Amino acid sequence: MLGFLSARQTGLEDPLRLRRAESTRRVLGLELNKDRDIERIHGSGVNTLDIEPVEARYMLSGGSDGVIVLYDLENSSRQPYYTCKAVCSVGRNHPDVHKYSVETVQWYPHDTGMFTSSSFDKTLKVWDTNTLQTADIFNFEETVYSHHMSPVATKHCLVAVGTRGPKVQLCDLKSGSCSHILQGHRQEILAVSWSPRCEYILATASADSRVKLWDVRRASGCLFTLDQHNGKKSQAVESANTAHNGKVNGLCFTSDGLHLLTVGTDNRMRLWNSSNGENTLVNYGKVCNDSRKALKFTVSDGCSSEFVFVPYGSTIAVYTIYSGEQITMLKGHYKSVDCCVFQSHFQRETEHERGRGRERRRHRIGNRLQAPSHQPRARRGARTPGPRDRDL
Amino acid sequence: MSRKRHRLVPDSFGLKRRREQGQAEADPLRGESGSARAAVAELVQLFPRGLFEDALPPIALRSQVYSLVPDRTAADRQLKELQEQGEIRIIQLGFDLDAHGIIFTEDYRTRVCVCVLKACDGRPYAGAVQKFLASVLPACGDLSFQQDQMTQTFGFRDPEITQLVNAGVLTVRDAGSWWLAVPGAGRFIKYFVKGRQAVLGMVRKAKYRELLLSELLGRRAPAAVRLGLTYHVHDLIGAQLVDCVSTTSGTLLRLPET
Repeated sequence: MLGFLSARQTGLEDPLRLRRAESTRRVLGLELNKDRDIERIHGSGVNTLDIEPVEARYMLSGGSDGVIVLYDLENSSRQPYYTCKAVCSVGRNHPDVHKYSVETVQWYPHDTGMFTSSSFDKTLKVWDTNTLQTADIFNFEETVYSHHMSPVATKHCLVAVGTRGPKVQLCDLKSGSCSHILQGHRQEILAVSWSPRCEYILATASADSRVKLWDVRRASGCLFTLDQHNGKKSQAVESANTAHNGKVNGLCFTSDGLHLLTVGTDNRMRLWNSSNGENTLVNYGKVCNDSRKALKFTVSDGCSSEFVFVPYGSTIAVYTIYSGEQITMLKGHYKSVDCCVFQSHFQRETEHERGRGRERRRHRIGNRLQAPSHQPRARRGARTPGPRDRDL
Repeated sequence: MSRKRHRLVPDSFGLKRRREQGQAEADPLRGESGSARAAVAELVQLFPRGLFEDALPPIALRSQVYSLVPDRTAADRQLKELQEQGEIRIIQLGFDLDAHGIIFTEDYRTRVCVCVLKACDGRPYAGAVQKFLASVLPACGDLSFQQDQMTQTFGFRDPEITQLVNAGVLTVRDAGSWWLAVPGAGRFIKYFVKGRQAVLGMVRKAKYRELLLSELLGRRAPAAVRLGLTYHVHDLIGAQLVDCVSTTSGTLLRLPET
């Protein structure tokens, strides 16, 4: 590592190399953080987490009691032992709180002024962060399992919503109504995800074992259905293609958008080429999955060989994406883990668990290096390196 | 000097130096660490031909190949290559959608020819089966066949397809699609499922639910195990139904926690 630092300092190597090497090293050294904790607000299980993409400072969490909490992850005290405080929350006595469990929360991809949340009470609510009021509410006929808004979209403001019905709804935030319906699945849609590479490509996963990729500009149906056996492609074949041998629970694009990971109740995880739908046949072994809703897993970003973090019972299993090797299992929770998010700036992994009544949050931080102040970090907007940088 | 640093492999960044696993143990199961084809050839030797009076071709399972070739991704890719080259056929065994049987194409063709034609001499479906073996098998290496593929590309009519299903060469998958099947494989599947449960039961009944591999192989096989203990143990290890722990006395098979 000192070799990398001195090479970076003298200009022999690209700054990106040091960043990637250090990120990889930190991910490989991930362990439960004894110094940091998150304030406990939720009374029951936490279903979803999202860290805002702009500064990676604020985190939203949605719980089974309908409560949404906003945390500030930054440590501005000089102490190493620190509890991340909740900035505000939409509690049970808020007039617009969700009636049932919140399934997905997501920050607005371009700034932290707005976030969206969807819940089993058949609504998708759009919230204004500063006033904590709902700016808009979309009502559906069936319970909503998952929603996603494209992180790279500039030409559209569509939110894809997966419900218990077989149709994927696309809601337009600008006009306030559902603008599209995508038909093709036969059972409930458990997960939806936009591609981080192209703003019009959407992947949807359903309980009928199928994963379909759509281009929302196209009127005539999905682009293709993923086939785990990589059979011959022909029009009529599409109806028999299955991505998994059970329900498909979770979807995640890799950070460059070239590959797609899917997880199913047949205890398998598969990696697909997102441009032609081919199964890359990377075998991760048995990935235990008995969740009846969506399973939220995440991939790392900015490491030399990307890793995927999947909740596996009460642990988190870490695999290398392209080779399928299991690196480690991160232990620390007492009950089953529901969701995890990865923060690429500090290689921090936060996961929440579901429990009966009591739940724990574990905030894991990789071993941090005494980094010199000129370590490159991508940041939007000017920020003066404050005294905080020293207690890294 | 800086050239060493260019390989960003996890080993350089592993914070703990893991001790190299001792490779010197003479493990009866890990003898083959080479390619998938060698693994399949070895597994096919384990299949008890006499039990089925030579009516079935020797079938190996994909999970058994995983136990012999430790890198699963490489094993999958090699099997896919072999399938594309036409050397092996992969069959969907009915009991579990994930369990695939692997048969050498030559064996499949000879056995199916011999046994089906012997069984249906004079019956109407002999002709359909012959046509299937001659035209479809070499052309299409997939596990399953679709309606339009069969009718348009290969020129089968609906009654002929029904005859193929009756003969046992095709199994219904969905409306308009069929899996490739081995006629007479029902008996094999029955013995296999019973044997798998019996071997798992042997591990389950052991103290602390774990058993040394050498001890398991040395025990007398219960009556339900007709295909051989080694055959089943390979399958259990590869399907991750037991955890393989290496100890100083050899490999230990332990039932997983859940």
